[in-house]
Amino acid sequence: MAFAIKKLVRASLRAAGVATALSLALPAQAAAPGASFDPRNISGFWELPYDGRNIPQADLQPSITPAVIAAQAAKDANSRRWCYFIGMPMAMESPRPIDIRQSAHEVLVNFETRATPRHIYLDRKENMVLDDYDLTSTGDSVGHWEGNTFVVTTVGIDGNKGLTLLPGGGFRTTDSKLTERYRLANNGNALIVTFTWEDPKVFKTPHTYAYRYTRAPKFYEVQTPLDCDPLDKERVEFFTNPPSAK
Amino acid sequence: MTLPAVVAFGALCHVATASAAQPASGIPDLTGAWVRVDETGSGSFDNLAAGFPQASLTPPYAERLERERKAGPRTGAWDPNKKYQNGEAYVVTAGTCGFPGGIEPNSAAFHIVQDRDQVVIVRENPGLGRNIYMDGRPHPDLRRFVPTATGHSVGRYEDGALVFETIGLTPGNVPAGGYRTPETVLVERYSLSPDGNRLTMRYTFTDPKIYTKPHTFEIVAERGLPRQLAFEWYCDAADPQQSQGVAPPKQE
Repeated sequence: MAFAIKKLVRASLRAAGVATALSLALPAQAAAPGASFDPRNISGFWELPYDGRNIPQADLQPSITPAVIAAQAAKDANSRRWCYFIGMPMAMESPRPIDIRQSAHEVLVNFETRATPRHIYLDRKENMVLDDYDLTSTGDSVGHWEGNTFVVTTVGIDGNKGLTLLPGGGFRTTDSKLTERYRLANNGNALIVTFTWEDPKVFKTPHTYAYRYTRAPKFYEVQTPLDCDPLDKERVEFFTNPPSAK
Repeated sequence: MTLPAVVAFGALCHVATASAAQPASGIPDLTGAWVRVDETGSGSFDNLAAGFPQASLTPPYAERLERERKAGPRTGAWDPNKKYQNGEAYVVTAGTCGFPGGIEPNSAAFHIVQDRDQVVIVRENPGLGRNIYMDGRPHPDLRRFVPTATGHSVGRYEDGALVFETIGLTPGNVPAGGYRTPETVLVERYSLSPDGNRLTMRYTFTDPKIYTKPHTFEIVAERGLPRQLAFEWYCDAADPQQSQGVAPPKQE
């Protein structure tokens, strides 16, 4: 009997190994039109093209006046001046492809700009309680799959760090909650991400916009990063003084 | 269908629902947080690499590095190969909060994520991530590659270990008296202990113009706690104090 059980387990493990090996042997990049692709594997380098944004106007609270927005813009300008980490969500607008890597335990999103990596954890369902969390520029993210949609919720983005103004209007605060929904399209060659911000102090209703990334060429390689030198006087003068017509 | 076949099919279905990037048999599961441990270091705060086998340099590089050592660090920045005296100050950062990069992990935790095409290693403090391409691509022609602090890496799995090769590194010091240039070939071998909680990283630098024999040393890391969060090492370039020199603790 014991022998039979061992044999059973060995057979199961062999099958499991074969299945995993097969999944690893799948083509890395999206298939040609008409061919199949894994709708639950968003790994890859993704570029945001000029026509990749669908951004409605945010429905802001009356308290979010132009003066409040201007004050927030001034904070962002200071962040830019001192090269602070960009943070969420503007890191997702990188002028370079973003690198998404999906493992069994987490999904990592890495950038070639002045932004720290995002760690989207798959092994817990709930976000951290903010009292127990050191705020960061990218926040605490957890993800799960709903069908072929990868759903990510993020809290704990420090309202005093990075670029805070949001596409479509308004800004994020430490109390903001972000929900992202990632879905592959166009035979795996496009990645559509909807961003929904909830923060009753800023928005009357949740603010949703979407980006459509396109997959970078198969052998894209990470480049020398776009760094930022806060001590470069020429750079600082460039964006702190109004442009001259001369 | 026999009972083993039913169970096997069940296992097949179970695996099919798991991540497509889940490591297969023979591929070490390196994903997660890791913290460097220096249990065989120099025995003091002087220089963690003091206990490593020292690099065997060719005469031109031995002379060059000796000259640089005597001249001291150009910017007053911390020199990993220098033995600091009690109370001797050094600059912790260059003041720009830039990407210092680097190959070997430092005191901050680092995180590894594996998928089919790439292994990514990121630190919790500023520094370039390491992208290790696993899709069979070759190294680029160095004439068309801009060197970086992490270079260009391609890898494979070999006997249960991650083995990868790096070229295209910016010129700079290597622990234990070594040096590197873009042409230097670095081979790293990451091996897991049987329980999966200990990672031995073996570094081998080869460059005939620099070394008389390959320069090899090992660094060990321990796996972080389950569900360990990645912290963010936040550097404020606007804070004048962050670039001031500090005195290392008194060493007995």
